[in-house]
Amino acid sequence: MLTIILNTFREAIAKKIFVGYYIIYTIIILVVLFAVNLDTVEGVMSLTDVKESVISLQVIMTSVSYLLILIFCIISSASFIPSMVDKGTIDLLLSKPLSRFKILMSKYLGAVIFIGISLLYFIGTIWLILSLKSGFWNFNFLFTILSLTFAFAVMYSIVVLIGLTTQSTVIAILINLFMLFVLCPILAARETIIFTFVTNDVVRFFFNFFYYIFPKPGEINDVTIRLITGETVASWQPVITSFLFCAAVMSFSVYYFSKKDY
Amino acid sequence: MDVIETKDLSKEYNASRISKQKVNALNDFTFTVNEGEIFGLLGPNGAGKTTLIKILLAITFPTRGTAKVFGMDASNSKWKSRVGYLPENHKFPSYLTGEQVLNFYGRLSGVKTGVEFQKKINEMLEVMNLTQWRNTKIKKYSKGMMQKLGLAQSMLNEPDLIFLDEPTDGVDPIGRKEIRDILIDLKNKGKTIFLNSHLLSEVEMICDRVAILNKGDLIKEGNVDDLTKSENIFIIETLEPIDLELKRKILTIDSNAGIGENEIHAETGIDTVNKIVDTLRKSKIKLKSLQQKTSTLEELFINVIKKDNVN
Repeated sequence: MLTIILNTFREAIAKKIFVGYYIIYTIIILVVLFAVNLDTVEGVMSLTDVKESVISLQVIMTSVSYLLILIFCIISSASFIPSMVDKGTIDLLLSKPLSRFKILMSKYLGAVIFIGISLLYFIGTIWLILSLKSGFWNFNFLFTILSLTFAFAVMYSIVVLIGLTTQSTVIAILINLFMLFVLCPILAARETIIFTFVTNDVVRFFFNFFYYIFPKPGEINDVTIRLITGETVASWQPVITSFLFCAAVMSFSVYYFSKKDY
Repeated sequence: MDVIETKDLSKEYNASRISKQKVNALNDFTFTVNEGEIFGLLGPNGAGKTTLIKILLAITFPTRGTAKVFGMDASNSKWKSRVGYLPENHKFPSYLTGEQVLNFYGRLSGVKTGVEFQKKINEMLEVMNLTQWRNTKIKKYSKGMMQKLGLAQSMLNEPDLIFLDEPTDGVDPIGRKEIRDILIDLKNKGKTIFLNSHLLSEVEMICDRVAILNKGDLIKEGNVDDLTKSENIFIIETLEPIDLELKRKILTIDSNAGIGENEIHAETGIDTVNKIVDTLRKSKIKLKSLQQKTSTLEELFINVIKKDNVN
């Protein structure tokens, strides 16, 4: 399993888009390192101001990472599964003494761990710089590494399923972006916007039904921001239902992959 | 001992994703491959050769029938550490170097990493004449080099059984000879080789047994020597010329014999051939050679396929 995971890292690094992703992260880190002034000693800011500034910066960094992860990284890693099931590649993999479950899960985990390590590098470094500069150690910011890796894992499960069934990178990307920017936001805004126009109970039921079934990346980001700012998380439902969605999609993917003729 | 054993193995595919029309890729295929032999699978395009290999390796699942490898069900992946496979038109990750490819697939095959593993990689690169290319990304490799690298990865785990699907495809004549020598060497080491090739002359040179597939049916199977022997056609060559009197004597034994000055073609049984030889000896005629006429595997293949297509 480790061999496939490590090879997925290699595949990711070989993609120039991921190099670009690391360059963007590094530029942001350098900007925070050299351009952000959080000096309390010289009386530029009060300690409260510093804390607020640090939290604000951390929220911005979380939002930047959220966008980079869910657009940049999903697009970059969408080809992993279609290229794995490509004729000539999959034959070789399946001829090895590995179960199909292990092959698919290794590939999936490889991508998720790679993103987790990227976040560890970015969020960890930003946290360290801000903490050293300000003297305010907001450990809650480190939750961002876990929550955004989780958001990626949830959305990437869709890419895995679509990649397996259609063997098309483009379709996997399009469906994922549709869910991310159209379906999920519409379902999330059902109570505040949609239901003001829709009064039919059956239609409302379906909106609610699909809201609870589908993943909620936006809400996961909101939970993360609440954790950073120290606010109480009103409901963990988005995290739990997104996890169940991910587990269901991956279970179906494993089942499909284990029965498929190549 | 049977290394591979299938019974009534069948595979049906849907003609397309939306169509329910079935296409038979393999029909009730029953055969065995013995330990230590080179077995050749022949057939025109679409005969079901690759489907058979894929079922044996559990890459594709059969519709009916059973397939066993090393006595275990083909779908059980436990025996796969004893197997090497070179697929037709294989694709390796293009971002890897030749050495990294061997490292990656060797690990997947369950080879324990360490000094011995590295030695084995070095040895394989040496055998395949790829040592100087070991650190080059494989996207720069030629087709022949890719085939050799593919063959090397199939042998890294020192398998007891190797499946090779068109191993010499795209390889130049010298490379083909090298691959043939490697296969013969493996056979001498007691390995079993399952070879799927279009190059019939090659198959004829190295295979012990062959099976011919057409439209999913097994239409001929046997030892290469037996299959290529044309029964009851003998050619007798003599050192001295055959005179008229002797010709008459031979024609009384076999009236259909074709007799030249130093050659007799007899389309008859071995007893009659012995009588002709006795007659020649009595007449103090020395034999230069006596051989049973053989057809090439290619001739046999074409005849068998033509006959099957007519039927």
